[in-house]
Amino acid sequence: MKRITNTLAIMALAVASLLGLGACHSLPEWNDDLYGNFDALWTIMDEHYCFFEEKGIDWEATGAKYRAQIKPDMTEKEFFGLCADMLDELRDGHTNLISWFDVSYYRKWWSDYPQNFDWRLIQQYYLDFDYSSGGGLNYKLLEPDSVGYVRYASFAAGFTEAFISDMLYSLKDCNGLVIDIRDNGGGALTNARDLAAHFVVERTLGGYISHKTGPGHNDFSEPYPYHIDPAAGVKWLKPVVVLTNRGTYSAANNFVAMVHEFDHVAVMGNNTGGGSGAPFSSEIPCGWAVRFSASPIYDAQKHLTENGVPPTEGFDLNMDPEAAAQGHDTILDTAIETLVAYVADFKSGNKITFKQYLARQQEAKAQKKPKP
Amino acid sequence: MIKNFLKAVLLLLPLAAFGKTDSLWVQPAIRPVISAYTLELGSAHIAQTYLSPLRHGGFGGALSYERMQAMRFKPERWVMRLGGRLDVAKTHNLPAKNATLWNLGFCVDWGMMHRWNFPGTWQGRVQLMGGGYTAAEAGMYYLPRNSNNPVAARGAWTLGVMGAAVYNGTVHRMPFCLRYLAQMPLTGVFFAPEYGELYYEIYLGNHRNLVRGAWPGNFFRLNNLLTVDLRAGATIVRLGYRCGITSTKASHNVSRHIDHMFVFGLASEWVSLSAKRDNASADAKIISAMY
Repeated sequence: MKRITNTLAIMALAVASLLGLGACHSLPEWNDDLYGNFDALWTIMDEHYCFFEEKGIDWEATGAKYRAQIKPDMTEKEFFGLCADMLDELRDGHTNLISWFDVSYYRKWWSDYPQNFDWRLIQQYYLDFDYSSGGGLNYKLLEPDSVGYVRYASFAAGFTEAFISDMLYSLKDCNGLVIDIRDNGGGALTNARDLAAHFVVERTLGGYISHKTGPGHNDFSEPYPYHIDPAAGVKWLKPVVVLTNRGTYSAANNFVAMVHEFDHVAVMGNNTGGGSGAPFSSEIPCGWAVRFSASPIYDAQKHLTENGVPPTEGFDLNMDPEAAAQGHDTILDTAIETLVAYVADFKSGNKITFKQYLARQQEAKAQKKPKP
Repeated sequence: MIKNFLKAVLLLLPLAAFGKTDSLWVQPAIRPVISAYTLELGSAHIAQTYLSPLRHGGFGGALSYERMQAMRFKPERWVMRLGGRLDVAKTHNLPAKNATLWNLGFCVDWGMMHRWNFPGTWQGRVQLMGGGYTAAEAGMYYLPRNSNNPVAARGAWTLGVMGAAVYNGTVHRMPFCLRYLAQMPLTGVFFAPEYGELYYEIYLGNHRNLVRGAWPGNFFRLNNLLTVDLRAGATIVRLGYRCGITSTKASHNVSRHIDHMFVFGLASEWVSLSAKRDNASADAKIISAMY
């Protein structure tokens, strides 16, 4: 009996030890040296980045090209620059390498385009430095055209439904609303959806979201439809113009992707900057963090908006610098004129939606053009 | 996976059902409760590839409660164990140690074990126990520097096996109880998002594939607890060591958590008398769950 007991006890311990040591799932292994860190960065992007196909990027070749440039005597900053250059090949504003001494950032999605926005100009010549603020938004009723102007600089700034309802209610008698999200670099996707919820009266398809299901470049889930439920407070159904420029990015881009489908909303300004991949983060052995687009978001037509949302046809506008010097934002002026004209037309008995009105205006313009 | 789960339920049910049909206890028994409150301090080693591919190491700690009692039916043969544990860890990415990954978790488990005494062995002081248990847990890993994936939540309900070896002895006239306890889940369900799935997408309503069937191939856990209870009069001091190993894999994401903890605490053995006092009769036999 004693032998049996001893044997049982030893066997139990042995089995437990073997199970404990052998049953763990494998983890990636990289050395904390130049090649190890480079391979870690390359692999993280290879397995998680979501726009290789859309952007036509050969990541294998890109990795090989930059790996060949590693020199054993590189300084930390030189190595950072090399890695940042590799990430720049993705042409993605959501992709950053973050070290203790620098953050890499791809800027060409906006730096190659005109700014088309001057907040000082609007404050001075349109708002007279006198406007209401709250929840990251500034607003004022612009007279004499009776158009509400709302400036939202960042979707990172949270607001309450009560605040938005109060703001919209205070502007209820105006002809229409201008929502200015030029240079709005994004923030929380929830804020984009919550704001859009004030412009629908029934559950409305907002778009689709997908995610990687595995490390392969084409391992994606079926796009999942997400909806905008009407806000409990004030719903705004008068015409709306959303002003955009290339600096309208990420969550702001998502807001435009949702509302540009609505019949009473027009987009004026420039093609937005894009940024439709919700970013993930990771890290490499030397402690640098990396952020990258990981989860593609589509509009309600299942179009990917990584390259931005175009303005409503006929309203791809640039600011006139000479007029700006005289205190005029010609993009904002166009928005105000269009809203006033539409409301006048509507009141005269032409009961069509804002979108239909703009489409007819474009048709009329096309017919007036002299034939070549 | 569902098949595995059903098989395990069928295998474990007889263990639980055994006592309900067996009412052959003939002698009133006093079944003291052994309850222990312990503090665990030590190291935690965590890897959670949804958050980071790197290993993290650092401090781990826990507050634990354990209650053991002989069962009402066949008290000499069956014991129950109830456990609860709140654990925390603060770890850093290795080797750079410039980011912090936190762990917070809570679990509760209940199970029964059959016990075998060996009267002819080591003066009859050795007991072996084996049985099944069920556990529920919830918790999260939190890496604050991440943008949209700062949290990896975890949750599981499992059925498993556990076993213990107990030795009661004395040293310098002080009675002690040395125990090794191991627990391993065999089946159940656990929560895991897909490979690169944002919690935002889950918040939007996509709940597909969030609950996975568990088996040791994708949800491996081995909890090892070695304790010694030093009994000085009515006071019982519990000292020990815990090694917990958890490794899960779902949708190519691996989560590994290993901790080594020193265990300190106080235990007590107490009797709960029923209103009828029927278990307090003069001939009632005291049957401890361990001592």
